[in-house]
Amino acid sequence: MNLRHEILLIEDEKNICNFIATTLRTQNYKVSFAENAANGLSLAASGCPDLILLDLGLPDMDGIDVIRNVREWSNIPIIVISARTQEEEKVEALDAGADDYITKPFGTSELMARIRTALRRSSLNNGVPVSGQSRYTAKDLVIDYDKHTITVAGDIIHFTQIEYKILTFLARNAGKVITYDTLITHVWGPYADSNNRILRVNMANIRRKLEQNPADPQYIFTEIGIGYRMIDNENL
Amino acid sequence: MHSHALVSIMNKTKTKSLVKNIIITLSGLAVATAFAFLFFYHVPENSGNIAPIYILALIVIVRYTDGYLPGLVSSVIAVVCVNFLFTYPYFELNFTLSGYPITFLEMLGVTLLTCTMTTNMKQQARMIAEKDKLLSETEKEKMRANLLRAVSHDLRTPLTGIIGASSSYLDSNELLDESEKTAIVTHIREDADWLLNMVENLLSVTRIHDQSSAVKKTDESVEEIVSAAINRLKKRIPEASVNVSVPEDLLILPMDAILIEQVLINLLENAIVHSQSRKPILCYVDDDEHNVTFHVKDFGIGIDPERLNNIFDGNSYIGNSESDSKKGMGIGLSICKTIITAHNGTINAGNHEQGAEFYFTLPKGE
Repeated sequence: MNLRHEILLIEDEKNICNFIATTLRTQNYKVSFAENAANGLSLAASGCPDLILLDLGLPDMDGIDVIRNVREWSNIPIIVISARTQEEEKVEALDAGADDYITKPFGTSELMARIRTALRRSSLNNGVPVSGQSRYTAKDLVIDYDKHTITVAGDIIHFTQIEYKILTFLARNAGKVITYDTLITHVWGPYADSNNRILRVNMANIRRKLEQNPADPQYIFTEIGIGYRMIDNENL
Repeated sequence: MHSHALVSIMNKTKTKSLVKNIIITLSGLAVATAFAFLFFYHVPENSGNIAPIYILALIVIVRYTDGYLPGLVSSVIAVVCVNFLFTYPYFELNFTLSGYPITFLEMLGVTLLTCTMTTNMKQQARMIAEKDKLLSETEKEKMRANLLRAVSHDLRTPLTGIIGASSSYLDSNELLDESEKTAIVTHIREDADWLLNMVENLLSVTRIHDQSSAVKKTDESVEEIVSAAINRLKKRIPEASVNVSVPEDLLILPMDAILIEQVLINLLENAIVHSQSRKPILCYVDDDEHNVTFHVKDFGIGIDPERLNNIFDGNSYIGNSESDSKKGMGIGLSICKTIITAHNGTINAGNHEQGAEFYFTLPKGE
């Protein structure tokens, strides 16, 4: 792990830029900047960073378009930094191909955790494909993809076909927010009703089987208006 | 370009109202003529009832058209119709008949009178509507001014702290030892957190459309809202201890999830900051046939009974003790009230034997 990861920061606000850059440097990351989308895109193409931190409110281009542009040629993980509290925009960014989002203002520890998760996921993607993982472990929960078993503290728990599909999809994307639409499309197919009531009911059932207290979950978290995020895989 | 568009819009509305007037006039007269024919056919000996039918039609036409012209035109047409169709000699115009000028004047008079009356009526209605609008606008303006005043008051305090602390850090950097520096920065951090909380609350209010004060509701799972609120609270106040529970059955409610989460966070944070107790806060949900109620119960000093009456008014913190005026939840609670009211729900505060309780109720929809 001597290799220092390079992070490209596309952000027009000088103060925020400085604070993020300082924090990243103290955590031993290499940082490059761009203060607008045009520079950001050319730096992304020439510098091949390991991760992009992207502010959505740029002066010259909508951040969503930057994501689409990058996704045309690269799978570099993108974490969106958004000052907007409007959840539609976050969903749009995630659906456009962003890996994660973080809302301003945020603490440094939160930012670092998101960066670590995204980097780990991408190195995993480059080496072993995600579908090649055989196991998910977090706290007392173990999912064995090969054996199709899910255990909590050693006890096997039975899930319906749909519940298993939801759970394993979230687990394979652990640490990442999965939007309602993405989840519904994966489980019920592209022509499924986008009404997420049926998803809610299934999630409630999963929660009751998995969590000790459904009102204070340990494994699957709700991001209101956006989707679900499963706790990181400790097995990596 | 702009004025062109305006003129064309005005022309459009003019044409529209002209078309409307013509349609109403013609159909009114046609209906009257049809009735008159029916009447004339069945009771040919009593042609004196024909004129009143037209008069009735005239009144109706005048009532539903704009201006004097449609009324005048139709009264002339009506007179001609009566003369031409229903007065001997039939299908011939003959104005020399005895008493005919009386009929003519009668119809004209009725038309003019009704015209004046309905025009007056319409004008008055418009004036009343305008007055109402003006009144509600000044009311709204007053509310906005009050809110702004309260907000600036609440924002100034932490900002003063931040500016003061940071300048004392910069000015006397070499005089301060490490622990003093840490204390100053911690203070800045606390004030900034408080500001953030306030700004999030204010932002949430902008989600309520001011015209209808309605919210965009979607079906949401209650336990997800509660758990998300607890999760965010713990991120903000890591030492917070909350005992939380939801019903065994999944509850799905129509609501604006972000706003309800904000209410829960406000109430929980309020309980932590103001209860002056470290006992875990109780947060639970129960429901009956029509409503779902969210409870936040603390085990602390309770609420001063004098404040209970206007605790959601947003200004109950003014003139209160020092600590209250700094970290006053005044705006937070009044925003909770606004949000719950916009959901057609109710919010209440009270004391139980060991502390304070806040609870709010949301209707289940159909």
